[in-house]
Amino acid sequence: MLPTPIHRFLFPSLDKRFLIRLFLVAIACYLIFGHLLLPLRVQGLSMEPTYHDRSFAFCWRLQYLFSPPERFDVVTVRYSGRTVMLLKRIVALQGDTVEFRKGMLYVNGKLIEEPYVRHRSAWELPPRTVAPGHVYVVGDNRGTPMAQHRFGEVNLNRIVGGVIP
Amino acid sequence: MNNKILLTAILLVVCGAILFLWPSDEKKIRGKFASLAEYSSTEQAEPVLETMKKAAQAAKLCTEPCLIHVESLKIDREFSQKELNERFLMMKKRLPDTEFKFHDIVVDIAGDDRAEVTTTLRIVGTIVDEQITDAYEIDITAEKRDGDWLFSSFTVVEFMKK
Repeated sequence: MLPTPIHRFLFPSLDKRFLIRLFLVAIACYLIFGHLLLPLRVQGLSMEPTYHDRSFAFCWRLQYLFSPPERFDVVTVRYSGRTVMLLKRIVALQGDTVEFRKGMLYVNGKLIEEPYVRHRSAWELPPRTVAPGHVYVVGDNRGTPMAQHRFGEVNLNRIVGGVIP
Repeated sequence: MNNKILLTAILLVVCGAILFLWPSDEKKIRGKFASLAEYSSTEQAEPVLETMKKAAQAAKLCTEPCLIHVESLKIDREFSQKELNERFLMMKKRLPDTEFKFHDIVVDIAGDDRAEVTTTLRIVGTIVDEQITDAYEIDITAEKRDGDWLFSSFTVVEFMKK
């Protein structure tokens, strides 16, 4: 025989109070996990080794409500909606000049140390300046050829939120 | 009193069901996307005849001609149904175990016989034992011809510039 509180938790009586509680929990879950803290299932290798293929994370949509995205933040970039998103790291902000030399990232002509990058190919990308209202995003896995890796300048309105953990 | 509440609830459910099931142009267009995804997807060890049939069915969902614009591949021209059929066949042979799925379909009906659609195409599958995942945002124009909605243009949105 189960103790009373556990029994009540597992087999609640379907009274009015329980139904109201259930309704409120459902609404709270919908608001939190449907709009504020979006569950993410990572597919692909572009953020290795920070985020592994088939791992889980959350997108915190309020992260940039009061402050703009910062360099090195991991963010989600939306397509036409929020069902499918890209997971990328911001490496440069508007007005910055970005370039890759032999796979090393240079921002405003300075070599950027990237401890989160383990796999590196010899990417070569001439300098380009990030347009106003945009940020420059790249995945952490630079082991793939540059042509096969999706990265670049993206409008701030495409950023859905920050990624936790 | 209780009967009134029950009656109102039943009425609301019935109205909701009618609204949900009522045929509309938007639902027809969404149905075409489901068909396009089904015909574009290729099952593992799919019979050749089935592949050819699906490619032809996918091409028939498009107008004659159909405009395709993919900036990164430098494609910007009209394709005939025959060409589309060949392209679908080629793609299905190249991706022998791949699922196509459209997400976040936003339909904007801009008149009686024209609609602008924005959607995300997600491709998941395996090529030579290697898992592939890819996604594209696509702007699509659909046109109503003889009461049937057909896709008349596809533009891949390239929102990320290297």
